[in-house]
Amino acid sequence: MIAVLQNLGTEFFIDLTECTTFAEIQAELYKKMESIADPAYVSGLNIVIGKEKISRAELRKIEGIVLDHGFLLNSLTANGPPEQSGSPENDTLYPEQLSQYQETALICRNLRSGQKFYTEGNVVILGDINPGAEVVAGGNILVMGVLRGMVHAGAFGDETVIVAAYRLNPTQLRIANHITRPPEGEEIIVEGPELARIKAGKVIIEKLKI
Amino acid sequence: MKSRVLVITSGKGGVGKTTTTANLGTALAMMGKKVVLLDTDIGLRNLDVVMGLENRIVFDVVDVVNGNCRLKQALIRDKRFEKLSLLPAAQTKDKTAVSPHQMKNLTNELREDFDYILVDCPAGIEQGFRNAISGADNAIIVATPEVSSVRDADRIIGLLEAAGLNNSQLIINRLRAKMVKCGDMMNIEDIIDILSIDLLGVVPEDESIVVSTNRGEPAVMENYSRAGEAYRRISRRIMGEDIPLNSLEEENSIVNKFKKILRLAK
Repeated sequence: MIAVLQNLGTEFFIDLTECTTFAEIQAELYKKMESIADPAYVSGLNIVIGKEKISRAELRKIEGIVLDHGFLLNSLTANGPPEQSGSPENDTLYPEQLSQYQETALICRNLRSGQKFYTEGNVVILGDINPGAEVVAGGNILVMGVLRGMVHAGAFGDETVIVAAYRLNPTQLRIANHITRPPEGEEIIVEGPELARIKAGKVIIEKLKI
Repeated sequence: MKSRVLVITSGKGGVGKTTTTANLGTALAMMGKKVVLLDTDIGLRNLDVVMGLENRIVFDVVDVVNGNCRLKQALIRDKRFEKLSLLPAAQTKDKTAVSPHQMKNLTNELREDFDYILVDCPAGIEQGFRNAISGADNAIIVATPEVSSVRDADRIIGLLEAAGLNNSQLIINRLRAKMVKCGDMMNIEDIIDILSIDLLGVVPEDESIVVSTNRGEPAVMENYSRAGEAYRRISRRIMGEDIPLNSLEEENSIVNKFKKILRLAK
């Protein structure tokens, strides 16, 4: 796959398997970036590092370096030896996951009953989501209208995502593997934008502070 | 004048598509327009019954598209209004007897002779629906103030948009002002809020519709029918006249005000 991308001439591949600490990775990455002569030719970067885990902050730093040099980070593969046999799930950021959040879909219309939108990244909807409509996103969901239908954010299991809506009134709201529905009987009318996210293993809804 | 093909649709059954088609067609014809009503509910035809023209059917829409007869032979001229015609559906076939392509050709043929072609769409979203919308310029959505009807209408609007019919208009049928006032029925704003399309008109619940439907005489022919009055106003809006939407409710509210005053006096 890497070879194919190189053939296209729009992506680069950087091997940093020798570097095992973050400081090393950072230093080496700088060097490699400087060595690429014409950044305009290259849009995407694929990096392999010799560390097993990478934190979110470290990832952001790497993304920052890459962006500063005029590139986009396509993928980051953590290729180091496993440090421990614990649960690598939570902290490790997989390359698939990374590329999801680089994409944000923009929908400039109402989603009506029976219509379904699916994306691996984030989605912003400039309109309503009506009952019977479904939006499934790997990342965050932002609705600049009334959310009355079903949404599923973090569809691949990311519990850090949020669902924000100008009016949050869904038939069902799912984040990662949590499924919630509005309380039965009572009707809660909130005049203002709200945000749903997972806090301490539960989906909570709070006012959106701007 | 360029002729217009309007499809009257709803998704859900029993909300009054056929009654609406019959009344709007009659009202437009009463105002001097050449109108044809096209029933696409093949296998479950009703429009001819509502129009009181059932016993005059010789050929139907399937005969026309299959070339068993000429279009003029199948058209039934209404006995009361010479500008009003009906092209009935077949009763012994099903929806697959006609294709969307054939339907489009048929409506194009009808455009030459008529100002308004009103297509009565069957319930559902299957082939019958696709047939009905295939030749249409615009759609009129009929919905009753019920959650299920509004949900189906929403689905239908989505399908219409996907098919390139964007400026659909809404008729809210069988509205009971009293129930809305008590909060027992969805109000107009709620429905518009969800469907976010233009409101063409509101038809109040009216028992006289049952009588006129059974008799085969559209309610617009009766001067005292409230529903008939609403349909007359809607048809004038279709013709492009600027008729305010809320006058019907205002009438009611004035009546209510009087009632309140009377009650207070007692």
